[in-house]
Amino acid sequence: MDNLLWIHSKRSGKIGIFLVALLAATWVLVPFLWAIINSFKTLEATFSAGSIIPFLNFQPTLDSWKEVLDDPQSINSLISSALVAAGTTVLVLILGTPAAYSLARFEFPWQSKDIALWFLSQRVMPPVVVLVPFYILMVQLRLIDTWSGLILLYSTFNLAFCVVIMRDIFRDVSKEVEEAARIEGANLWQIFWMIALPLSLDGLIVTGIIVFAFSWNEALFSSALTSQHASTLPAYILASRSTRGVNFNVAAVNTIIAIAPPVIMSFFVQRYLARGLSFGAVKG
Amino acid sequence: MSKQREDDFRELAAGYFQGRINRRRFIQQATKLGISAALLSRLAPATYAAGDNLVDSSPEAPNESPITKERIEFLKSKPYKGVTINVLVLKATVGDCLKYHAPKWSEETGGHVNVAEVPIDTLHQQIFSDLSTGLGRYDTYMTGCWFYGDFFTGNEPYIVEIAPFLKDPKHPYWDPDQWLPAMRRLYSWQGKVYGVLFDGDAQILYYRKDIFEKPENQEKFKAKLGYDLPSPPKTMKQMHDLSTFFTGWDWNGDGQSDWGISLHAKVNEQGFFHFLTLASPYVVSKDNKYFFFNPDTMKPLINSEGHLRALEDYVKFLPNGPKEAISWTLGQGWNLFLSGHAVMEPTWGDLPTFAQDPKSNLCQGKVGACVIPGVDEAFNPITGKWDKYENNVAGNTNGGTWHCVISRFSKKKEATYDFLAYMANKKNAMFNCANGWTGVQPGMKYEYFPPIGNGSLDEWAQYGWNKDDATRYLNAYYENLALPNQEEYLRIPGAAEYWHELDVRVSAVLAGQAQPKAALDETAQAWEQITDRYGRDAQKKLYQESFAS
Amino acid sequence: MEPANKAQRNSERLFKYAMLGPAVLWVIAFTFFPIFSALNYSFSNYVLGRGITSYVGFKNYLLALGDAGFWHSLLITLVYVGIAVPLEVCIGFVFAWIITVGLPGKGLFRSILTAPLFTMEVAIGYLGVTLFTSEGGLVSALLNLVHIQIPWMSTGEGGLAAAILLDVWQWTPFVFLMALAALGSIPDEIYDAAMLEASSHWQVLRHVALPLAWPVLTVAILLRLIEGLKSFGLPFALTSGGPGTSTQLFSIMNYLVTIQFFDFGRGSAMGILYLVMVSVIITVFFQQMRKRID
Repeated sequence: MDNLLWIHSKRSGKIGIFLVALLAATWVLVPFLWAIINSFKTLEATFSAGSIIPFLNFQPTLDSWKEVLDDPQSINSLISSALVAAGTTVLVLILGTPAAYSLARFEFPWQSKDIALWFLSQRVMPPVVVLVPFYILMVQLRLIDTWSGLILLYSTFNLAFCVVIMRDIFRDVSKEVEEAARIEGANLWQIFWMIALPLSLDGLIVTGIIVFAFSWNEALFSSALTSQHASTLPAYILASRSTRGVNFNVAAVNTIIAIAPPVIMSFFVQRYLARGLSFGAVKG
Repeated sequence: MSKQREDDFRELAAGYFQGRINRRRFIQQATKLGISAALLSRLAPATYAAGDNLVDSSPEAPNESPITKERIEFLKSKPYKGVTINVLVLKATVGDCLKYHAPKWSEETGGHVNVAEVPIDTLHQQIFSDLSTGLGRYDTYMTGCWFYGDFFTGNEPYIVEIAPFLKDPKHPYWDPDQWLPAMRRLYSWQGKVYGVLFDGDAQILYYRKDIFEKPENQEKFKAKLGYDLPSPPKTMKQMHDLSTFFTGWDWNGDGQSDWGISLHAKVNEQGFFHFLTLASPYVVSKDNKYFFFNPDTMKPLINSEGHLRALEDYVKFLPNGPKEAISWTLGQGWNLFLSGHAVMEPTWGDLPTFAQDPKSNLCQGKVGACVIPGVDEAFNPITGKWDKYENNVAGNTNGGTWHCVISRFSKKKEATYDFLAYMANKKNAMFNCANGWTGVQPGMKYEYFPPIGNGSLDEWAQYGWNKDDATRYLNAYYENLALPNQEEYLRIPGAAEYWHELDVRVSAVLAGQAQPKAALDETAQAWEQITDRYGRDAQKKLYQESFAS
Repeated sequence: MEPANKAQRNSERLFKYAMLGPAVLWVIAFTFFPIFSALNYSFSNYVLGRGITSYVGFKNYLLALGDAGFWHSLLITLVYVGIAVPLEVCIGFVFAWIITVGLPGKGLFRSILTAPLFTMEVAIGYLGVTLFTSEGGLVSALLNLVHIQIPWMSTGEGGLAAAILLDVWQWTPFVFLMALAALGSIPDEIYDAAMLEASSHWQVLRHVALPLAWPVLTVAILLRLIEGLKSFGLPFALTSGGPGTSTQLFSIMNYLVTIQFFDFGRGSAMGILYLVMVSVIITVFFQQMRKRID
């Protein structure tokens, strides 16, 4: 589909947009660049004035990369993180999307908005307060330091995102299409599965990305409920803090390792996030 | 006793107490001198039963020295084949050290060590969640000494005494009698030893000897302050003068102006140890050993006049270092000294150890060390009076003194002890404290040089140490641990919380957000609240117990 | 959709509850015990190793309410969220607009602008220390070029400002993604018509895109508010709440009391007080915002 908005823009508007985009990209990229630079420093160089440009200001070293890659725990936590985040995303979408659809389409004894808010209230609770009870719960379920324990927990917390965001997305999906399908003889499940869901694909992907990101980044529960086997990357990054303080160069390596997989993944997923995909279908 | 015999015996006893000769030899020689067995057993109580069977080394155990004959026999069957012990350690230098030894122990005994590492923030919580829910996933935990009280709050301690294992000669040999008393106390509770030797922390003052001894600096100092540059400083006043003098000009010749002291004062880190360390001579004297609480009432002493003066003096150091030190962590503080921009730093033994790496800094061979300077007037918070002293100095054991304790829920206590004792064996203990990356500091007599112990300078040099640095470091470190006045170490339940309340308020004073007097009064108030929550009587009992050893 | 007959109505009822049920049951199953347990602790005196030693009524609540530190932490938290969230919403929306306009290479830009979402708060906090320190920090070095010196790391205000900047950096992509989905669901015809009439992008943005995307944006604001009020890892890694307690957000204080010091009683009471206050703020806020749309 052509980008009519871009084509119809005035030249000055185009330049303006482009400048803003460049500025935005710089703002986002500079800290990453700094992390990359830091990852090639010695700990001493991370706090020396003027250690900014490699080779010119300081001698880069691969020491911190070696330190992280030589540690079997770093790969282990990368795998844990990936499995836990993917598992959570799938489970949340399976549980949350139908609920969101149901809330968007049907009447309930309570207002559907209030039910959505109830889901959301699960995220309002300060996590620290439920950390200890959750620990006890996990002990009883024998899920301490397991992937399933974390998936279960993260799904509980992130369900709210899915319900709230998808409810709004479904409400935007045109009801006429669904009505048409119903007249054609489709049952409710078919309408949900074959009409509503494909039409809200971009919302689904956004939700998936957000849930994935939250599970991928969660540190507090992960570092309390795991210690070795299921320890995720954030817990591992937290541990680049030693008695000596934080090894900022090692933390930088970990940051890069932590961000690379989801960013690469998002390159692929985002193809489907193209604007107009769903409405293209409607119009087509 | 004839004069000659008396002198011989005195020398023999000195050799034994300073660790130059072992117990077996001492008893042999003393018996020859005709000293009665009863007297000897009083003089040399046997903590360790196997002293008589020691040999220097054995092919069965290439990493143990000395080793008992029973041990050699025991190892032949690979006794711990199929046994896995689970260890929870601090993810850091000290944890790396344990991980280094684990496979070597496995080779000898057939056992396997499974190590889980957690950062310092979550270690306490991980240990006590595991214990208080009775989950008991670990056989042993690496603990900081301020966690100790928490092991003893219930009816039954969470951890077990090591005495029964210590008596069994089939385990690796190590001798708790070699411990410096100040260190041994931290591994014990009410006279019973619970921890197996690992680390031995204390803070002393490190300084740039070369800068202090540079003639032009000495001339300038004398011209400015009217007395000879004190190297090392003996009193707090001298330390203040030095830190002020070396601030704000370029004494290392790199074109940037430099600093008189390096501190790290970020909250919730280890910065408050600076205050605890530097405040000790103001309060701890030969007339008073209490620093934190009145042992009879559990009333806090922290807002006493002595602590107040200590805090007021401590704040004066702040302008002599970078302003940002207020948000620095330990590594940043060390970095300032190691990169040659600060002339003094009161801290742990890691600093001189890191200084031995010529790749990352220029300080090797230039590090001086001395005990924390003293004051001529100390406050006795129990009597409420200032007392005059010639120069009151106090030693400290501030820091983690990280080591492992065995869980009472463990089903493999014996194998666990075997591994811990393996690391405490002299050969490995020596390796640990001479290497910088292990984060382990010396607490046993044999790690020091004669006349203190029977360590050898060559052994340290072998690990890359500059011999002068090693001598200065170890002598000052020992002097600190052997000082008659020792600052107490807070080991009651909630120690971390008491410290935190102090920490944030000292930080507020440093940031200029609060006045010293108000800050300490508030701290005392917060401490009372903590004491009440734990129960005043229970805390009082544990506080008094924490002294007994 | 008006159900035509009773059978259809029944099947519809079955369908809607079957769709909603699993999620509701899941949440109840896994949150009932923790919330009940937290309530129980909040009325008790808890000591590590001995467990609950006694029930103390509302003492923990009164202790919290009488604690100046508690109120201070609430204030700091409000300042933090009050500055960070509006910035995130504005910047995120603008980002979404430039992608929606469809400038060349928008796929690349979109991926770049999403990236910070996958960085963990604590790691950003650590990175922030090296960015803002005056000893070799990038931000300080750049500002030095124009002779500006900001005491980022040695004062409470500086620390808070640094934390907010990093928070904005990390969470703008969240708003960006949601705004992108919202703008994406607006039919092209509307944009095209607007673009032909309006004189600048700004006008289309302000008068067409914003009102149409507002419902989704309010959800984004709501979610960011809720998450922002819980911000912990980033500020904790950056300043640990210091100097003193000047950057001690509520979550940091709550963490120290409950987890570090095992004071479940006071920690839970604080948490529940906070829960109540936040719920009130959020409900009122949300209803006000939604009212404007409806």
